[in-house]
Amino acid sequence: MKHFYKKICLLAGFIGLLASASWAQTRVTGRVLDEAAGEAVIGATVLEKGTSNGTITDYDGKFAITVKDLKATLVINYTGYTSKDVPLNGQTTIEVRLTEDEGILEEIVVVGYGVQRKSDLTGAVGIVKAKELERVPTASLEQALQGKLAGVYISPASGEPGAGATIRIRGTGTLNNASPLYVVDGMLLDDISFLNPQDVASVEVLKDASSTAIYGNRGANGVIIITTKRGLTDTKASFTLNTYYGTQQIAKKLPLANASQFAEMYNELKGNNYYPDPAALREGTDWQDVIFRDAPMANVQLGVGGLWKKLNYNLSGNMFDQQGIMEETSFRRYTGRVNLEYPVLKSLRVGTNMAYSNYKYNTVGGGVLGGMYRMPPVFAARDSTGDFTDPTFFGQSIGNPAADLFYKNDQYSRVNRWVGSVYANWTFLKHFTFRTNYGFDRRRDYFYGFEPVFMVSSSQLNNEERTARDTAKIQNWLWENTLTFDKTWDILRLNVLAGQTAQEYTFNKRRTINEILQPNGEENSDWAMLSYLGRVNATFYDRYLLTASVRADGSSRFNKKNRWGYFPSVAAGWNVSQEPFMRGFKLFDRLKLRASWGITGNDKIQNYPSLGIITPELYGAFNDTIQSGATLTNYANADVRWETTEQTDFGVEFGLFKGKFTAEIDWFRRYTYDILGDLPIPDYVGSGSNPFVNAAQVENVGWDFTVNWREVKRKFSYNLGVTVSPIENKVLKLNDGKSEIFEARTGQGDFATRTVVGLPIGAFYGYQVAGVFQNQEEIDSSPKFGNEKPGDFRFADLNGDGKLSADDRTYLGSPIPTLIYGLNAGFEAFGFDLAVDFFGVKGNKVVNAKAVSRFDTPNWETIWYDNHWTGEGTSNSVPRVTNGGHNYRMSDFLVEDGAFFRLRTVAVGYSLPTKWLDHAHIRDARLYASGTNLWTKQAYSGYTPEFPNDSVFKAGMDFLNYPMAKTILFGLNVTF
Amino acid sequence: MSKLFKYLSAAVLVLLAVTGCQKDFLDRKPEGRLTFEEFFQTEAHAIEATNAVYAQYREFDMCALPYLSCTDILSDDADKGSTLNDAPLISDLDNFTLDATNPYVAPVYRGHYRAIARANLAIENIPNIDMDATLRSRLVGECKLLRAYSYLLLVQWFGDLPLITKTLQGDEYYSQTRQDKSLVYDQIEADLKEAIGVLPDKNGYAQADKGRATKAAAQGLLAKLYMIKKDWANAEIQCMDIINSTQYSLLPKYADNFLPVGENGAESIFEMQSVALPTQQAAGPGSSPYNMVQGVRGIPNLGWGFNRPSDNLVSAYENGDPRREATIIYVGEILPDGSTQVQDNPEIINERFNQKAWVPNHPGLQDNGPGNLRVLRYADILLLAAEAKNEQGKAGEALPLLNLVRKRARGTNNFILPDVTVTDQSMLRERIYRERRVELAMEQHRWFDLLRWGRAAQVLQAAGKTNFVAGKHELLPIPQTEVDLTSGRIVQNPMY
Repeated sequence: MKHFYKKICLLAGFIGLLASASWAQTRVTGRVLDEAAGEAVIGATVLEKGTSNGTITDYDGKFAITVKDLKATLVINYTGYTSKDVPLNGQTTIEVRLTEDEGILEEIVVVGYGVQRKSDLTGAVGIVKAKELERVPTASLEQALQGKLAGVYISPASGEPGAGATIRIRGTGTLNNASPLYVVDGMLLDDISFLNPQDVASVEVLKDASSTAIYGNRGANGVIIITTKRGLTDTKASFTLNTYYGTQQIAKKLPLANASQFAEMYNELKGNNYYPDPAALREGTDWQDVIFRDAPMANVQLGVGGLWKKLNYNLSGNMFDQQGIMEETSFRRYTGRVNLEYPVLKSLRVGTNMAYSNYKYNTVGGGVLGGMYRMPPVFAARDSTGDFTDPTFFGQSIGNPAADLFYKNDQYSRVNRWVGSVYANWTFLKHFTFRTNYGFDRRRDYFYGFEPVFMVSSSQLNNEERTARDTAKIQNWLWENTLTFDKTWDILRLNVLAGQTAQEYTFNKRRTINEILQPNGEENSDWAMLSYLGRVNATFYDRYLLTASVRADGSSRFNKKNRWGYFPSVAAGWNVSQEPFMRGFKLFDRLKLRASWGITGNDKIQNYPSLGIITPELYGAFNDTIQSGATLTNYANADVRWETTEQTDFGVEFGLFKGKFTAEIDWFRRYTYDILGDLPIPDYVGSGSNPFVNAAQVENVGWDFTVNWREVKRKFSYNLGVTVSPIENKVLKLNDGKSEIFEARTGQGDFATRTVVGLPIGAFYGYQVAGVFQNQEEIDSSPKFGNEKPGDFRFADLNGDGKLSADDRTYLGSPIPTLIYGLNAGFEAFGFDLAVDFFGVKGNKVVNAKAVSRFDTPNWETIWYDNHWTGEGTSNSVPRVTNGGHNYRMSDFLVEDGAFFRLRTVAVGYSLPTKWLDHAHIRDARLYASGTNLWTKQAYSGYTPEFPNDSVFKAGMDFLNYPMAKTILFGLNVTF
Repeated sequence: MSKLFKYLSAAVLVLLAVTGCQKDFLDRKPEGRLTFEEFFQTEAHAIEATNAVYAQYREFDMCALPYLSCTDILSDDADKGSTLNDAPLISDLDNFTLDATNPYVAPVYRGHYRAIARANLAIENIPNIDMDATLRSRLVGECKLLRAYSYLLLVQWFGDLPLITKTLQGDEYYSQTRQDKSLVYDQIEADLKEAIGVLPDKNGYAQADKGRATKAAAQGLLAKLYMIKKDWANAEIQCMDIINSTQYSLLPKYADNFLPVGENGAESIFEMQSVALPTQQAAGPGSSPYNMVQGVRGIPNLGWGFNRPSDNLVSAYENGDPRREATIIYVGEILPDGSTQVQDNPEIINERFNQKAWVPNHPGLQDNGPGNLRVLRYADILLLAAEAKNEQGKAGEALPLLNLVRKRARGTNNFILPDVTVTDQSMLRERIYRERRVELAMEQHRWFDLLRWGRAAQVLQAAGKTNFVAGKHELLPIPQTEVDLTSGRIVQNPMY
């Protein structure tokens, strides 16, 4: 082991050599112990008093911190313990014993452009620490956060290997991309698929305007700050090994008609006995069994961190491999991370956080999922001669999905990506800190797809070998310069921040087939942002808190006159429990009230919404040759301007029973105006696409409740937590005199949503089924469209004009949940730990849009079979067998309840006793098993009522997605 | 303090260094693309913008399933085609069970308004370009002809229309209403008259521009407009002008019109141009899907097999009329290029295909269709002239024109298609109507002819389309999305 350690030191050494000889700052190491038990306190915060300089204790309770000088005082904090001030008085090694019970929650929280004590926060910030994330390993960080934070709705939705998730913080306040901003070690990003969750030290979710306004430009949908792990502050290198292996399988199958049901329906559709004896066909092929499988996933992570001389380092390497539950799909990610920090001078620290990742998605061409859904169950994947079954003799142009899996599996997307930052922190004149941070995200995306020559049928063939390649070069840099003044007086802690940032993004893509550049195969795009920001944090008497911030952003996406947006915020807080008059009042060991107001912006739309871009390659074809052609086909809107969100938040945080019970309750109102949307415009305008407009005003009003009970006994500890977020979404106004916005087409081209004042965004809209026509007389005497036949849906004539028309459509429910809730519980004793997480939503509807296909429906879901109409009096709820047309209009037949309650995770672990490990020089070892998505209670007939659609309007529409998997994992974490 | 000042000024300098370039830094446009402000500056731009209008007519919506569904398939010339369950909602057009959400109606509406928008843009901006004046007015004339052509189709399909003759601005997007069709007619007439004034004869174009809109094309479209308005005298004038110009003649062989050899030939007055260049991709630049969607389905696998010539059309021909063979591909028939024999496809009932859309080869894949869509043939003009003359009681002048068409069809076989000699106005009218049908079958004229003649209900009901409701189905429904998006300012057609 020592040998290995030496090698690591040598590796790290070259960086050390770059540094000059000055070792000016002072390093202090120490250990934090429980006064009573004498055990290590893990994860306690150690803060240099009067500064934002801090660290956290490791698994042995050890820490190291670099302080200005040995006159400094350290403040040690841990949940459930009394905070302790320890003056160094010249010592470089200290031992601190914390006493239980007078638990004042004192944590360091990462906020925009700095850190703050949690007690000084005036904003609503949700925090998840590494320990909670490590318990349940997931491929992506987003998935790991589900249900953990009030007001944060995360729907993973897809079981596709390597898939991320859709995140909504405090409802849906926009018509376009409502995803939050990610800030990874200071780098602002929209996509964190490169990130290995095991490198993450903490996640802070900024929810209210007081905390997000400092990210003004992109703060409107909330901000997720991710901090990756630093080296433990111990001269002895600490090695970690995390590994797990598991298996996934489809969590729920679709109810599709089996062969005999299909044959029966087909006979009815054709009006003949095409299949003379449907019952004899029995089950037939369940195409889901053909394309889905049980799939393994595995992960290995190796890390080393520590302090070498004065260089704080943390290095990690990770390999994650996930086979998809759909055949021929997989995801493999290699990541490497180097986090370094070095004090060049007493006043100057430089560092870097750098991640390299290489990830690859193997995918299948053709429409395997769609083929599975459409393929009649009367066919087998291959016929008796071993050839792929050709279902086209049947009169349908479906591709056999087994053949697609066989011939079109040679394709993948690969991403090579460097994400990181380099920074320098210069402290001068005692209270000033200048920080410059250059962050970058440089990636090369590469798609490769090869299709051999093959022939299954006249509609599933390839005449010529084809190799498609897409190469994209995506570069994104961000340079931030901030100046901070931080000073503590007796009655006042003051932190003033001023800064300036610039960011640029460029995208260049080329698409070739058989090495020939495709028409419009070159795509170039860019944007830039310039910002100025300022903030004042003041704390009077440790109890009166004030924060004010302002940010000005210039976005290249808008025309000169609308370019600059200004985003102010103010907030106040009151630590009531610190008041002298509360001293005798023992019930609350912590009580804080806070209020905030602020404005944030959103420009997250396409890059050139205000510029008319000429479309090239609209060729003239004269004399059997082509002549170049070009014109404006997609209209722009030069007047498009910032979308802005005004948010008001009132919160209370308190701790009871000596810190065992903690609660945080927030009421908020998010009022978003000038919402940007590329709303459909009438066809007579002639634009090829819809220009962006500032379309509407929307309000989200809701509550975030977080309640935790945590008790640490000598022999065991347990915790219970509940998060509940009721929210109401309502459109307040539509701009430009519009009274309604239609969006989201079904396969038949009908609009499925209509947005109007007073209802949620993208409310479902369509006909109400009043029954099924039993006979011709009934049709003749009822309101109708005119082409109904007996057995067809009888829709309600809601306007009572005696006929059916588009005017009879009505509100059919909202896709936005009115309640999001999570439940978690944990128990630890004798080295065992158990954690359970539940997650659920209520109050929303979903549309089974996959059941409405464009041309036809070669197979049916059992919702169309069970209880369907076969003659007078047979059914009044499910129509006769048809494949498209009248019965597939957007109606409440397609709308289902979207509520669900899911056992998101359950994990059991065992940490080996220290006495077994000590002589093996192992600090910590934990074995665990965990299960994800093992049980769900849902009303919806499809895979899951959550869909990975970015568009707000399609959020509740099931267009058939890669289904969710349930996973069982076994893992081992070792630190030595 | 001076130290503080030094530090602060250094920090300020850093900030200024970055912000100094702010103006350029935030002005962005996509690399390699022009913006609207940079376009319409040169002669090349004027040509490109005009070519872009032509390009729109090769779109799927403009020449493939939606277009054919709203023309031949509506009429008694053709059925949906392909297999029973392939695109079943086209049957709602075939059988007149359609409603305002039919997915084949909206695309023709949308597609032609996009063509109109491109034309409007060119017509507005080309006149301001400093360039050769003759070329400038010719290009504007071409765009006006194309705009008129789209409005001519739209007004026949939908009746009253939002009349968009300039590029709409944001505040005008939702406020348009339908204008009386007489105003649409006036706009078409004005555009075509201007086009006639500036467009060259077909010999006036350089070889490289063969296929662009000509004066005769404008005259032919204007004649069609006058025929719709039953302005027989003016229709006759336009037709006779084309005939008397002697630039056009009937090809000796009827079938040649639809082969590559007939493209832009002596009989061709206006065609939407396509070309299939060798390509690795699905659809090459310049190609159209017109041939693919109508191509033989199955073996040989040349296409999708839509727009099947109907039983009714098969029996519409006089005995021995060779035009039937030239119009329809049957099972067992050897393809015109002699390459192969069409095999039976058991999934298609009464399998037939439109031979006029058949092309000998698609380089690459089916999508890469080379065939021009024949908009106006000289035979069409001859028959329109005959009809206009007969309607004015000039049967004697009408007969020779009608018989020219029959004579060409007859070829050297004098046992078939004898000259028509009847001079009774209504009897001759019937002969002209029947001649138009068989001469122009499967060329997407029949539906419009039936409308023009006021016979759609009578003829289509007799042909078995019993759902046809007179007074309703002569017009297609305005796409429901259009009514929805304008909150009803765009009013639906009666009874939909």
